[in-house]
Amino acid sequence: MSNVKVLVVDDEDSIRRFLRVALTSQSYALFESTSGQEALSCVAEHKPDLIILDLGLPDIDGVEVTRLLREWTKIPIIILSVRGSESDKIAALDAGADDYLTKPFSAGELLARLRAALRRAAQIPGEPVFAIGSLKVDLLRRLVTIEDHEVQLTPNEYELLRLFVINAGKVLTHRHLLREVWGTEYGDEFHMLHVNISNLRRKIERDSSRPQFIITEPGVGYRLRIS
Amino acid sequence: MPNSGRSLKKGEKRPPAKNFAWRYYLLGCLLVALATLLGYFSGGLLAPTNILMIYLLCVTVSAIVGGFGPAILVSILSVLAFDFFFVRPFHTLNVQDIQYIFTLIVLLLVGIALSYFTSTLRRQRETSKRHEQEMAALYALGQDLAIASDLQSYTRSIINRIKGTIGQDVVIFLPDARNDTVLKAYSDSPEIDVDVNLFNTAMSSFQHKEIIECDSHAIKGAKALCLPLVTTRRAVGVIVLIKPEDAGDYTDEQERLLSAYSDLAAVAIESIQLADELHNAEILKATEKLQTALLNAISHDLRTPLVSIIGVLSSLQEEAMDLDDSAKRSLIQVAREEADRLNHLITNLLDESRLESGALRLSLQPAEVNDLVGAALEQLGSRVDNRTIKTDIPGHLPFIRVDFGLFVQALVNIVDNALKYSPPDSLIEIKGRCVQQEVQIEIVDRGTGIPEQDLPHIFDKFYRIKRPDNVSGTGLGLSITKGLIEAHGGRIGAKSQAGRGTVVSIILPVSADSMASERFNE
Repeated sequence: MSNVKVLVVDDEDSIRRFLRVALTSQSYALFESTSGQEALSCVAEHKPDLIILDLGLPDIDGVEVTRLLREWTKIPIIILSVRGSESDKIAALDAGADDYLTKPFSAGELLARLRAALRRAAQIPGEPVFAIGSLKVDLLRRLVTIEDHEVQLTPNEYELLRLFVINAGKVLTHRHLLREVWGTEYGDEFHMLHVNISNLRRKIERDSSRPQFIITEPGVGYRLRIS
Repeated sequence: MPNSGRSLKKGEKRPPAKNFAWRYYLLGCLLVALATLLGYFSGGLLAPTNILMIYLLCVTVSAIVGGFGPAILVSILSVLAFDFFFVRPFHTLNVQDIQYIFTLIVLLLVGIALSYFTSTLRRQRETSKRHEQEMAALYALGQDLAIASDLQSYTRSIINRIKGTIGQDVVIFLPDARNDTVLKAYSDSPEIDVDVNLFNTAMSSFQHKEIIECDSHAIKGAKALCLPLVTTRRAVGVIVLIKPEDAGDYTDEQERLLSAYSDLAAVAIESIQLADELHNAEILKATEKLQTALLNAISHDLRTPLVSIIGVLSSLQEEAMDLDDSAKRSLIQVAREEADRLNHLITNLLDESRLESGALRLSLQPAEVNDLVGAALEQLGSRVDNRTIKTDIPGHLPFIRVDFGLFVQALVNIVDNALKYSPPDSLIEIKGRCVQQEVQIEIVDRGTGIPEQDLPHIFDKFYRIKRPDNVSGTGLGLSITKGLIEAHGGRIGAKSQAGRGTVVSIILPVSADSMASERFNE
């Protein structure tokens, strides 16, 4: 089996060098682009399995690159961005990006996100039972247990948890969760979402101020921790 | 091609009442005719000497009313008419009696003298009246300028006054506040088109302190007259008068008035420019002071982590050092922690500069205190792993409206301080509660505490408490935290007992939609 191909798009030479070392050490085949335009043609030519895309590119905005790619390919996209540009991250995620990392980030974090995104993209039919630590979610029987004790969830709480489980490790934006669970007209009812997440955490987390399962992505959304 | 010169006018000077002057000559002629008729038809009732008196009256009247010219004309006409009609031989200009020649000469002299005196008197009166008008106009402008407080209203009053007295459109060019080699145009009529040609002429007038006239494209055929505003020190601007095609040259009074206006305007504008410069210099000084302090504080704190990081990396690079794996691991751990510290510091500095410049935009969303505290602890990462941190935040606590990332940063700063200034084995508590529609978050440590005299200053910028233990910091963390909390509409305060610990509390209003939260709690 040939190596997994990863395209790195960043105009900073030092960041590309760091990613080159981190990725080739894991025997990924690497392609590099320094601009959005170059990235678009590289994707068409080499058909990589995953793209690591910086939002601040010299020519086309990373959000726009994501939008253009999503017109014809489902290839997983991981966004690199800086703190303080939450709206850009949300825009990129809404445009179809799979995940994001805030600079500076560690190699371990990057590789974990990369593996998770590749796993999701492979669409290996998921097990009907998802388990992480003491939490077990049986999607077939709609049964949630903590240390083998059944947890009673409301339909919306269960629906939220189900979304997290089938997108395990992926960041889900506030708006995305609201639309999926309550419907498109509820896209701005952030408070309703936060209250439900808070209730869900109280039922499944041991200490809801140090959540182990549902992690807050500041200003962006939530994700289910998988490691 | 603009022509230049120091004088406002070209060509001959024209008296103001030229159009009406012929009337006085006509009036003089009529008077003489009337006197002649009166004498002629009096049928010898009036002696020639008395008729002469009537002519004298005519000369006097025209001298007083018409001035020098009409008086001379009337004198000559009177002499001729008297000679013609009333001196023998009649109906000729010949004179028999030598006495009458003397009479005629005297009449002429009286006319000349009278008209000379009256016209001198009149000129004086007119001059003083003009001066009075000028004084009134200048006084009015002076008063306008006294009331005006900024450059905008200064220029408005100057434009209005000049327009009111001269009746022509005015544009004022003043140096730009930021760049005094560029002129900025002020005008009250938006239709005045300030084109490149006018700009260049004004600039040249400004630079050479010269009056220059050029063609104006503002109105077809119009001319623009650029008058530099010059004080004893420098040129402060240019007044441009837009002269329509049919406008003649300025009169003496207009010329004098314009010159007085521009002198007054120059002094006034210079005074406001000087005040502005002083103000800017003060701001610059304060900014420089702040920047120096900031630089001093951060150059140390930015470099310290880098010293460790570079040290570690160079050690790893140095093959001769032959480090074993555990030594390498601990070195890497040091570099990693220092890099995290550097990142934290830079985040704070960025927030500070955003706060300072007003560029900080909060994206407010309802958030749970539990979640905020969790994110802050998560961000502190390895630094809290080996510390005991007890959180006591009730699940039913109402939501608060915050910018998640920035509020977490504020919490991180406070917890970071608590970690730094308390023994490694001591407890840190984070408590939340709701008191009268306000959410209160307390961060309690059992550390060294803050001396009483320092307590009121700990949220000041660059304030650092002198301590024996050498804990690093810029003295920016708490001042940024205060700025962030206040940007959220909240308050922050600290209580401390030396040797027993510190309590920092944040108070924020309850999110409005939190009241309605019950309906989501199915």
